[in-house]
Amino acid sequence: MPSKESKREKAKEVVDILEEISILLDTDLDRAQLSLCVSLIENGVNPEALANAIKGLRREVKSNEKALQDIRPESSMSD
Amino acid sequence: MGDQHRVSRIDAALSQLFDSLLPADPATINDPTVLRWLDKLVHNARDSVHAGQEDVPAEVNSAQDLIRRKLLRENASPEKAARFSNLYSRLLSMPVLNQKWRILYLLHSLSENQFPVNGPRSPLAEIEQQKLSKQKVQQGYPRYYEKADSDHEEPPDRRTSVEPRAAVTSPKKAGLASTHEVRHDVTNSPTKPQIAETAAVPSELDLLRDLPFSMQGLSSKSYQFVSPTIVKLPSSLPIPIISLLHTLAEPCLLYKTLTVFVDAQDGGLVNQSLRAAISGELRSYLGLVATLEGEIRRALTAIEKGEDDKKSVRAAGVTLKRCVIWTRDATMGLRLMALIVEDSQRKRGGQIISLIHGLLASHGDPFVAGFAERLLAHVARPFYDILRHWIYDGELVDPFNEFFVVEADPMLKADVDPRRVAMSVWEDKYKLEAELVPSIMSDDFAKKVFLIGKSLNFIRNNCGDSDWVIHYSQANSKSLDYESTSHVNLSASIDAAYQTTMARLTHLMSNKFFLFTHMQALKRYLLLGQGDFIDLLVESLAPNLDRPAHSQYRHNLTAQLEHAVRHSNAQYDDPEVVRRLDARMIELNRNDTGWDCFTLEYKISPPCDVVITQWANTQYLKIFNVMLRVKRVEYSLNTTWRKCMTGARGVLSDIDEKLQGDWKNARCLVAEMVHFVNQLQYYILFEVVESAWATLQKTITRSDATLDDLIEAHTKYINTIVQKGLLASTAEREDGFLVQLHNMLKCMLNYREVVESLYSFSVAEYTKRQQSATRTEKRTAAGTSRASTPVVAGARGDRWSAMSDELAKDTGSPQLLPSHAGHDSTLLTGLRKRMSDLSNDYHTRINAFLYDLAHQPDVDLRFLGVVMNFNEAYKPVNPRRQKRKEKGKSSDVQSQAGVSRPASVVPTSDAGGRGEGSKAG
Repeated sequence: MPSKESKREKAKEVVDILEEISILLDTDLDRAQLSLCVSLIENGVNPEALANAIKGLRREVKSNEKALQDIRPESSMSD
Repeated sequence: MGDQHRVSRIDAALSQLFDSLLPADPATINDPTVLRWLDKLVHNARDSVHAGQEDVPAEVNSAQDLIRRKLLRENASPEKAARFSNLYSRLLSMPVLNQKWRILYLLHSLSENQFPVNGPRSPLAEIEQQKLSKQKVQQGYPRYYEKADSDHEEPPDRRTSVEPRAAVTSPKKAGLASTHEVRHDVTNSPTKPQIAETAAVPSELDLLRDLPFSMQGLSSKSYQFVSPTIVKLPSSLPIPIISLLHTLAEPCLLYKTLTVFVDAQDGGLVNQSLRAAISGELRSYLGLVATLEGEIRRALTAIEKGEDDKKSVRAAGVTLKRCVIWTRDATMGLRLMALIVEDSQRKRGGQIISLIHGLLASHGDPFVAGFAERLLAHVARPFYDILRHWIYDGELVDPFNEFFVVEADPMLKADVDPRRVAMSVWEDKYKLEAELVPSIMSDDFAKKVFLIGKSLNFIRNNCGDSDWVIHYSQANSKSLDYESTSHVNLSASIDAAYQTTMARLTHLMSNKFFLFTHMQALKRYLLLGQGDFIDLLVESLAPNLDRPAHSQYRHNLTAQLEHAVRHSNAQYDDPEVVRRLDARMIELNRNDTGWDCFTLEYKISPPCDVVITQWANTQYLKIFNVMLRVKRVEYSLNTTWRKCMTGARGVLSDIDEKLQGDWKNARCLVAEMVHFVNQLQYYILFEVVESAWATLQKTITRSDATLDDLIEAHTKYINTIVQKGLLASTAEREDGFLVQLHNMLKCMLNYREVVESLYSFSVAEYTKRQQSATRTEKRTAAGTSRASTPVVAGARGDRWSAMSDELAKDTGSPQLLPSHAGHDSTLLTGLRKRMSDLSNDYHTRINAFLYDLAHQPDVDLRFLGVVMNFNEAYKPVNPRRQKRKEKGKSSDVQSQAGVSRPASVVPTSDAGGRGEGSKAG
């Protein structure tokens, strides 16, 4: 149906816009993560809490990246 | 139901999201500890998400503003913000999402550089830029303060915006506990490449410990000098500490640049003394650093002994803030020095002194003034050294060309005539360069100083009086200093030196080298002041010089000169003077008679030729030339006149009836010419030369005359003579005075020749008559007795004939053959015609001359015209108008403009003007 397609188009467009904004803001989110976040927010998740969680995860991962590097001998942690 | 659905959806999405964020795929990991840790992470995340469900911060709705502001703040160009606005408007137009605000807020909070603890990075970037651009800090204070203020401004902003967030930095910076907390909140990877250290944030004690090192410009663990102009501060510190460290970093950097300058080796003496002064200041700065270090060490040991960190630090009393205050003065001093160093890169010598003195004199801040005064004492020392040498020794000891007196480049003078050496020694050896005169010395002083040194040098080298110079310098030289000689003292000592030197120089010139004597001698001989000598000379030289120029011999001339000297009053003159007189031939042309080439010469030896220069000599010779011509014409006219007069009593009385008219005309004209010549001579000698001489005397016998004054006065003297004596070099013009004069003199000479021929003609006539008379008498006497009359007649005839022979011998003109009567008459008519032509010519010329004289701006020249025309016998005619008249009109124009002067002015010059004694100045 045209409405559905247009809706999908519009959704895609919105995601595009949001992706651009996130690049502008340098948030380091890729497209998939971004769309997940969008759906989470749409479902009522508190954006602040979500942001905190994401940031905490990132932080923890970063601070222990060395330890993690031992686990994954193949892939390198690009910084 | 929907809620559950929603929750499960949320959970699913969350797990997906978190998995994507994790570095590793949980499926591949085997290590149980890691697995457990990963699980824990995810649980934590989920819990936090669920926990914050209800808590919607108020800024959500203003997310867009937040974002835009942030973009503007962080980026130099507003284009990102513009793009964002674009995107945002497009987003708004989409009907898709409901929670646009929240999404935007999410993005905003996820974006980097949002936390205030990220602060160190951006101000550090700013500071780096600032340090790079610190090279050109003209107004060091205000700009820096601006930047610092902006630094202070930003953190409060961020802090308030983050206030409700967890774990904000505490406003107190001294607490160690808070620094630890802050550390936990520090975000992940900084985007800019930083120092390699990752974990340890320097504590305040560490910072304090490293401070003294960095203040000496050495890198330490906390501060590293990446280059002499950039210091890297640790990034992981709270903003207030960072701002304090910025303040503290300034003296470190300044110190480093200053040490670089101080260690450099180039530049002149003043630069070196500047370096010495600055290194002195830096040493005192290091003293301050040492004290600071002592304090810090004491505090640190006290802290280490104590238990509670916070309190003990505060009790010890040494904090970063305190250090800032302690180093504030030093920082200002360092800033000033950096400014001075900067400016002095481009200047040298006196300009640097001017620079510092300018700071001293015209800067309002007393701190700056005191600082500059300290520096000035050092920096001016080499300058004063050079000054002392120059003032008291006349020597220029200036290896780096910093003084404002420079020695002229000897290369440039390669083509100078060796005869001009003495002049150029005085004038050209040293030059005053105005740009290097420092502002502690006014221009007047600089000139005086210049003169003093020049004179001393001159005395020492050219006058051979180095003994006096040495004696003088030993007696008077005192070391000059900026402090010991305040302005008044310095000027007084320079004045004293000036007086002494100038007086000595004039004394030398007049007594040792007889400058004044020479000038007077020049006046007497070259300007024909010694009348008897000149008359004698002309008389003895006249027959010689009438012959053509190439038949003259120099020894002949010198012999005549000696003769003239010995027989006139010149023999009583100083032998020194007489020695220098010489006669010479100049510029032999083909057709010149001796008169044109003869000249006297007076030799001037150095150092007098500084005053009486080569140019002056040439002028003298020119004047002499003209005056000699006039003298010559006078002499010949006089001889003719004499002949006429004596002849009128004798020879010519008998032939009156035939040649009476001619003789009358001749006598009148000759009288006119004599009058003219006499007037001219009187004018030149008395009005011009004597008055100029009087001015010269007055100038040079003044007690404070300097050598420059002498030179100038002498030049003016000669110029006056030249101008007023009708010798101005507008001789190229047809009707310039000199040319007119020459023409008139030529005319006179021609006329004299005509008169001479007339005379010889009359003598011939007379002889003829006498001979016929004696013949008839002889015939009659032969008839009568020879007793009485023949004796008489014969005697008379003998006498007459003898006299006529003599007379005939006297005249140099071609003999007239008495035997041709027809020839005689044609001769006579020719003579008459020539005479009338010449007299007309003469009258025209003198009219034009008088007209020109009357229209001169100079009073004396007008007076000459009046004197020549005292009975208004001539009517001056404008020659140019005459020419015009001849071209077009035929009306008679007589411009009487010049002559309408009352005759009452005239009586002072009576009777043709042989008033030599009456008018003497």
